[in-house]
Amino acid sequence: MTLNIPVIKLLVAKDWQLFQKQLAVCVLAGIVSLCFLGLAKPWAFYVGSLMLIIVMVSSACFSIATSLVVERKEQTLAFVMSLPVSPLDFTVAKLVGNLVTFLVPFGVMLGGTLAVVLFTPLPDGLFVYALLIFGYLLFAFSVSLAIAMAVETEGWATFGMIAPMVLINPYMMALTQVPDIKDRIGVDAIVWTTPAVLILSALVTMAVGLVAATAWRHARKPAFY
Amino acid sequence: MGPQAVQERLHYMDHLRALAMLAGVFFHAALAYSPLMQGFFPTADRQNSAGVDAVIWGLHLVRMPLFFLVAGFFAAWVIAARGGPALARQRVRRILVPFLVAWPLVLWSLSASTGWALENVQHPSAFLAMVREWLQQPDPPRLPPGTGHLWFLYYLLLFGVLHWVVRALALGRIGAWLVARHPAWLLLGLPVLLWPALASVSAPHPAPEGLVPQFWAIAYYGAFFALGTLVHARADWPERARPFAPWLALASLALYAVFLWRLSVELPGQAQPVASWGMALLEACLSVWLAVLCLLAGRRLLDRASGVMRYLAQSAYWTYLLHLPLLFAVQYVLMDKDWSWGLKFAVAVSATLAACLLSYQLLVRHTPLRGFVG
Repeated sequence: MTLNIPVIKLLVAKDWQLFQKQLAVCVLAGIVSLCFLGLAKPWAFYVGSLMLIIVMVSSACFSIATSLVVERKEQTLAFVMSLPVSPLDFTVAKLVGNLVTFLVPFGVMLGGTLAVVLFTPLPDGLFVYALLIFGYLLFAFSVSLAIAMAVETEGWATFGMIAPMVLINPYMMALTQVPDIKDRIGVDAIVWTTPAVLILSALVTMAVGLVAATAWRHARKPAFY
Repeated sequence: MGPQAVQERLHYMDHLRALAMLAGVFFHAALAYSPLMQGFFPTADRQNSAGVDAVIWGLHLVRMPLFFLVAGFFAAWVIAARGGPALARQRVRRILVPFLVAWPLVLWSLSASTGWALENVQHPSAFLAMVREWLQQPDPPRLPPGTGHLWFLYYLLLFGVLHWVVRALALGRIGAWLVARHPAWLLLGLPVLLWPALASVSAPHPAPEGLVPQFWAIAYYGAFFALGTLVHARADWPERARPFAPWLALASLALYAVFLWRLSVELPGQAQPVASWGMALLEACLSVWLAVLCLLAGRRLLDRASGVMRYLAQSAYWTYLLHLPLLFAVQYVLMDKDWSWGLKFAVAVSATLAACLLSYQLLVRHTPLRGFVG
């Protein structure tokens, strides 16, 4: 089975175009939050880190909502089905489009956050903690993406986006209950403890596994639904 | 605006950009002989003159604002002529790649020449003496890595992203509305916008060399970048602002005198970590008005083809990338000489420019590097 690469590229470009305004807001808010973090003051750190999490959660939800939920709601899919694309082409386009629109701001924000931690008076122990939070956001995005691609109703897709993202709050609280993680956050050194490595590895593995499983399941579908 | 009109305007913009970048060589060289910078600058020399301070801070307030104004103009021009993706490709080829390649080389060479100076200079600057003391400690503190004088590339990349954000969200209408009004709106409004940004840092404002974007630098330099895009969009704005030139020149002269007086009172350092509001307003007004005056002067005097200016324009980027490590190496050697500051300054500038231009001729002008830094 061969992929119709030119059409896949067009579909990805379409998603990118539709997502551009939300992405622009996310990028702007991301730069502002990094500037806050760079001020290296307690209040600025609080505002900056809160903004950063909001930005990442928003960009994950916007990406899925724009390319999957709204498309179904506005029945753009009917138009896409009239194009010379197979269900596999469509699945690949949706996955690539979502991954690109999420991973671009994700990568920029992750790099920026780690640079802020390393190159300002903030304790370097935040490096591992920041990675654990970004690891969770990656995992939550892949859960949301997998659910949004699997279900056909807007309600379940919305639930699939909100639930994993909201769970970041108890996740962050849970992290601070692990002494090997909590005790290293305020230390001015990057310390990789066993729990931190295990949690991060598990999150990344599950995120990649979920995306791969979603791709495999949808690639086998003979029809769009 | 037809293609011919664009071509005519690009001459003076190109030349202004070259002059703004070459002014950086003179500015950085002169810092070594500035009494105000004796405590901060690595190559600060025993020989110095108050006359240097009287000149260089004016240059400081205008050269990078002018550079970013021209950069904004050219960014808007590329988008109008070839589209946003072409601008993105150009930013990668001419800014991101040179930045990533030059950054470690510049930091390494500055570190190497400073290391040599720490071991060999008999009359060290206060900065070198402080570093020597640090190095005596069992666990010497390390300076956070920065972008050095390549910070302008970092901010150009950032402004490239923000420019895209503004276009994507159609926020340019605010600027278009502003530039369509009477020129006094921008000439008086822009300093007010820059005022809080400059009040949040020391005076004279520092270079934003850190790796984390700074609010004040985005607001300050970003405003000039935005002004450049607006000048491109409204080609008649410089003509409409021209009648204000004599008044701007007179006001700038008067404000610069006040600025120098305040600078002698509000000495930068621990006692003055941020500028007073009055000082910040002086800086904001001087930056905007001097940059606009340079734009108007350039439009009148530099808007013609010139072989020399064309060569300088083509070599300015390479020269700017290369100049600081060379300049520091020369000035470290000169620190122990019993020459006057003027002779040292002339030797340092001449040697640096000669090495930059020669290396441009040999390594860049006729090689593929020209596509990146030519």
